[in-house]
Amino acid sequence: MIKQFWSCFIIMLALSGCGWDGTPTRNNDFIPLTSIEITAVYQTIAAKTSTKLTVTGNFSGLFTRDITDQATWASNDTTVAKFVNASVPSRVSGLIPGNAVLTATVGGVSSTFNLTVSNATITTVTVTPAAPSISKGLSTQFSASGTFSDLSIQDLTFDATWASTDPSKATVSDAVASKGLVQTIAEGTSTISATFDNVIGSTLLTVTAPALQSIAVSTTNSSVLSLSGATFKAIGSYSDGTTPDITALVTWSSSSTGVATIAAGGTAKALSQGTTTITASLGGINGTSSLKVTGGNLTGITLSAANITPVNGNMNLVKDIVVHMTATGTFSNGSTTYTRDITGAVVWSTNDTALATVVAPGGNLAWLTPLAVTSAAKVTATSGSVSETINLIVTAPTLQSVAISPTSINLVVGTSAPLTVKGTFSNGTSTTTQDVTFNSTWSSNTAAASVGNTGLAKGVVSGDSAGSAAIIAAYGGKTSTAATVTVVTRTLESLALNAITFSATVGNQVAFTATANYSDKTSQIVTEDTVWEIDKPSVAILADSVNQPGQVVGVDSGSATLKASFGGKIQTVTITVP
Amino acid sequence: MKRICRITIALCLPLLLCGPAMAQHSGPYVGAYIGGNMLMTAEGKDDQGSFSLEFNPALQGSAVLGWDLEPGNPMGEGRIELEYTRRSNQVDQMKFAQGYFQGSGNLVVDSLLLNGFGVFRDNRPWSPYAGVGIGVARIEASDLKVSGNPMGSGSAIVFAYQLGAGVDLSLTDSISLDLGYRFFSSTNPSFTEADGRKFDIDYMNHSAMLGLRVGF
Repeated sequence: MIKQFWSCFIIMLALSGCGWDGTPTRNNDFIPLTSIEITAVYQTIAAKTSTKLTVTGNFSGLFTRDITDQATWASNDTTVAKFVNASVPSRVSGLIPGNAVLTATVGGVSSTFNLTVSNATITTVTVTPAAPSISKGLSTQFSASGTFSDLSIQDLTFDATWASTDPSKATVSDAVASKGLVQTIAEGTSTISATFDNVIGSTLLTVTAPALQSIAVSTTNSSVLSLSGATFKAIGSYSDGTTPDITALVTWSSSSTGVATIAAGGTAKALSQGTTTITASLGGINGTSSLKVTGGNLTGITLSAANITPVNGNMNLVKDIVVHMTATGTFSNGSTTYTRDITGAVVWSTNDTALATVVAPGGNLAWLTPLAVTSAAKVTATSGSVSETINLIVTAPTLQSVAISPTSINLVVGTSAPLTVKGTFSNGTSTTTQDVTFNSTWSSNTAAASVGNTGLAKGVVSGDSAGSAAIIAAYGGKTSTAATVTVVTRTLESLALNAITFSATVGNQVAFTATANYSDKTSQIVTEDTVWEIDKPSVAILADSVNQPGQVVGVDSGSATLKASFGGKIQTVTITVP
Repeated sequence: MKRICRITIALCLPLLLCGPAMAQHSGPYVGAYIGGNMLMTAEGKDDQGSFSLEFNPALQGSAVLGWDLEPGNPMGEGRIELEYTRRSNQVDQMKFAQGYFQGSGNLVVDSLLLNGFGVFRDNRPWSPYAGVGIGVARIEASDLKVSGNPMGSGSAIVFAYQLGAGVDLSLTDSISLDLGYRFFSSTNPSFTEADGRKFDIDYMNHSAMLGLRVGF
């Protein structure tokens, strides 16, 4: 009971509020304004020039505040000095030499300012910045300074008339609100001039190539599994408003190279669990993006070969027979262990390429070919400091026969199924068998079915049209008996997956199955023939679209949709990664 | 809406969690409370921007008329009451863009709330409780001034609510002492500045109360 009370009390405290601690934005105009003070840049100005006045209000001695924008202005002698610009009411212009008393009034409180208008005449006008180089697309405020006959110097930015000799390269504003503001248009040069009382000052402006102002770094995979990759893209924002792809131009770096490394071109490789900041740099401008690596750290590698069982760490192989190798990684985040296929992420090697070679053509594929009779060959898969080696015992027995399996299959048009072929070898005293599927030459005798003859597709039979076909495999001068393939046409009614929603854990591989349901109430598993897609690779990815269709690995917390397409039918699964 | 949801959740939780009753008073009761409160720094807003008002702690008093639910009733174990409370906090200072200024005047709140409290009884002589109340409040800004200059005044009737928790100590079968905490808040009342401009403030009050309830 008491626990329940404390629970309620804590909820109550959480629901209750604290006081406001924001920053006030309102001026205190409740305190009466008691006096004002007028200040100006120049107490004395030359005739035909102007100066801006500022009014500072004193509120009952408690505080002061700039209230220029609230003042109304008057001059006691408008032939000497006058407020001529309605858009800049606090700027007073000297008309003829003499003295004028200027008055500002705010809320009934007034103050005066004695302005002297001299008879000094302009001698030179200087425009700054001098001979500037400005990148295309940028705007820069220019200033004009006048030196007068009495050697006084006065800012004439407001009073001068501004012009550009080549407005196609750069323009300069002569509007009251933006006098002297230069906007660069195109690469080249233009002379910017300020004219006051027929005296001209100028500077040569060089408009240079657009300057890089910022870099936006993006990736489609902000979270990736360790030992996988992510591609980053850099978009530059230039001073002329263009935003080209500068991925190839920037220098890429990772703040934590133990978590991930990144190479030129923006290709990152995730090494261990953690978070790193990926930076793209060019000309002193940096752009960053975060990369989170999940799925634990690699602790071990297990090597295996399709249809071959290692004995005491040794793999017995027949010379020249290609073997499909797989490397399975064991990962740990300290509390949880994960396993997933890392065949494509490890570095494959053999101790002697004259004895055996391994080719990794991409994806999670690796092909081992024993080239010589030996018991000294070794195959190693390495990732960082973790590696695994398996010994090869290679013999060269004589091929006796080849046998296809299964010997008959039924297919629906548009589906496929794998066939395998095993060779029986003899060394004179004993016989042995080995899968020779990937070494064999496959053929079909009719157009009803075709059979793959390259890479992983070797031996995979596809139903192309209704009818039957005989599939044979040939290797080493031996030809198998035919496998009979019967292909029928059925009307696909629906596609079903083995789950509608699924909760996948980070780093673990989950296999989905797609089943085609036909109008004659038959069904067939079509996982291998289905096109699998996933919409959020930062949440979950396909393990390998070629080698392991329908297999998904959770990457990071979130929800993603797995889409399966077959024969014009689409089915989806919502995958939640907690 | 968020506040209303919070109130509903807080109202339901204690009542649902109450256990079986010990011997206790059931039926009508009256009570009186006195205590101290702290009014949190309030944000004031008008069409010129925001400012803050800080207040001095103050005393407050309440009177309640309620009903102790009988043990085993379907609503749970607890009580329902009508509570009138008066709070009056003096403005200490106000903060504008120019900084802090001495403030004066009072923010006076008269509230009438319907409270529901769940009581957590066991063999102890004292029983903790928690609950919520909703109702209306009349909030009056009385002669608010900044450094002696008129700032604003006015009154508004607004929706009000409170969260409460405390401990009941049974003195006799029908008399109990109540030591409790209340968080009281309301929708923002609107007042009038010295120049006629409207301004709103928020209102959040924490209070500690000591009361006596007598059952019949």
